[in-house]
Amino acid sequence: MPEFRFRSELWTAQYTGVKVSTLGAFLKALREVDDDTVYYHLYRNMFEYHFLPTDYWNSFSYWFAENGFPVLAEKFSALDLIECVCLSDIREEMVRILEREGHSFDKICKPFYFIRAVRRTVDLGVVARDLSEFKEGVKKVGIHSLFYHLVTSRLVHCSPVNDFSRWLTEIGEERKAREINRIDLISYSLYDLRNRIIDILES
Amino acid sequence: MLEEYARYIDRGTLKELESLAKELKGVKVLHVNSTKLGGGVAEILHRLVPLMNDLGIDCHWEVIRGDEDFFRVTKRIHNLLHMPGERSLSHEDILTYLRYTFENLNHVDTDPYDVVIVHDPQPAGLVIKRRRGQKWIWRCHIDVSSPDEETWKFLETFVNSYDAAIFHIPEFVREGVRIPAFVIPPSIDPLHDKNRELEEDFINSVLERFRIDPERPVVLQVSRFDRLKDPFGVIEAYRIVKRRLDCQLVLAGSFASDDPEGEEVYREVLEAKGDDPDIHVLNLPPDSHLEINALQRSATVIVHKPLREGFGLVVSEGMWKGKPVVGSNIGGVRRQVIHGVTGYLVNSTEGAAFRIKQLLTDEDLRKRLGESARERVRHSFLITRHLKDYLIVLHTLLKVG
Repeated sequence: MPEFRFRSELWTAQYTGVKVSTLGAFLKALREVDDDTVYYHLYRNMFEYHFLPTDYWNSFSYWFAENGFPVLAEKFSALDLIECVCLSDIREEMVRILEREGHSFDKICKPFYFIRAVRRTVDLGVVARDLSEFKEGVKKVGIHSLFYHLVTSRLVHCSPVNDFSRWLTEIGEERKAREINRIDLISYSLYDLRNRIIDILES
Repeated sequence: MLEEYARYIDRGTLKELESLAKELKGVKVLHVNSTKLGGGVAEILHRLVPLMNDLGIDCHWEVIRGDEDFFRVTKRIHNLLHMPGERSLSHEDILTYLRYTFENLNHVDTDPYDVVIVHDPQPAGLVIKRRRGQKWIWRCHIDVSSPDEETWKFLETFVNSYDAAIFHIPEFVREGVRIPAFVIPPSIDPLHDKNRELEEDFINSVLERFRIDPERPVVLQVSRFDRLKDPFGVIEAYRIVKRRLDCQLVLAGSFASDDPEGEEVYREVLEAKGDDPDIHVLNLPPDSHLEINALQRSATVIVHKPLREGFGLVVSEGMWKGKPVVGSNIGGVRRQVIHGVTGYLVNSTEGAAFRIKQLLTDEDLRKRLGESARERVRHSFLITRHLKDYLIVLHTLLKVG
């Protein structure tokens, strides 16, 4: 049976030096910044605010809302990050929304600072060789490990299947794999997600 | 020591820190700042240094020397970096700064270290001592978003000689900064006397000692006696509230050894208080952590209304105690308070009064916002998160992993 190694992802933030004050400049920057910058702004809230009743799902949306672009705020927040398997796809979709729905491209807004995620992946030394050990691993590791295996791993592999589901399929647990892959990650906090996954593993 | 934090964050997060630190074992790190007592920087270092050692990093902390003249100049630099003043730095000021910088080159031995982390402008000039192979990081704890340009230019020469800088928020990164700029907010320590759980009897005894009525609502601001913290605006907001609602105002602070203006501001605040028995102006010794903790836990509403602020850790301290915070919509304060979720952000004295009244009259609202506030701090502003950020910066600069 193949083993599953639990990893985790940790970030800090680095300012890119790109600061924009109009929607036009925002659009231009969005096309040019690197993937780790897009990643930071899309996933930061999920990483940091997921347990609070906040209004939007990413920092782009907050900036739009604050500067009088409520439709853009909603549309960016409604992006199904889980459907998208490549950051380049998400970026293209955001650019399309801006080109279609954007207006007042020269209006002066509060500045938006593009920040890059400086990421480190660590091996937690937790290894599962069967379903029981896997379940114990999910209980034991931190929430950032769940984030890595459920979110980042799909982007890393440009795959619609997360790490957990891929491994569960390999060991013949297709149903559990499918159910875990179907979870709407946006609708749960990472703590709730852990419980949801444990429920599926125990079912 | 790290184990003790398992009470507040999950064990998995502690494991992540240990894994991250594995490749940094034995790396020699020196923190340098200007004071061991008073202010947020010293508080953070008192905990961060032992925690780094606990993870196997050989971490030390040195404080630069200076007399009253030097600290008057550095306080002036501090104020001018926050906002332009009537006059910029004089030649004498610059000479004083440079003279003490050169004296400190002999006093602080940076040679044995792989990484030197210098906090704030006071010791920034030490970077001229950098030797080949070392990594130097300038950690800026103040709001430099709209400084006196000449003062910033003076400092910028030193800053750009570092390998990297760390600012609390991106708004503080000046355009002239040509080195990698990390964005890392500071943090509070849940095990520190200022934040740990307290017995109800102790809290009551503190209130009794300061003659604060435990039966009536308390509005609290904790800050140094400093004009930039706007204690006069807080008194004005309290007076607006007091027209309709009964409450007491507590302004609690202390003087830091590198802040000669503190006493003067304290006297002015006493004058502004006048003969109002419900305003309590408490000048506490810098080590009054338990008293500050008790005051925060007993407060009904916590206010933090600075005009300029590096970050304002007292906001997180209050939030950690489950209190909603009414804070200025500026700098680091707005990074901590999520408007309408963990407290309120205000833009004026009148706005502060309005939100204080709203919170004083609605217990459910206070409870809901207070619970979210504590969760927000647990995730984003505890020292374990800060430690993680430093470890990633060290990884990045030393190119390990």
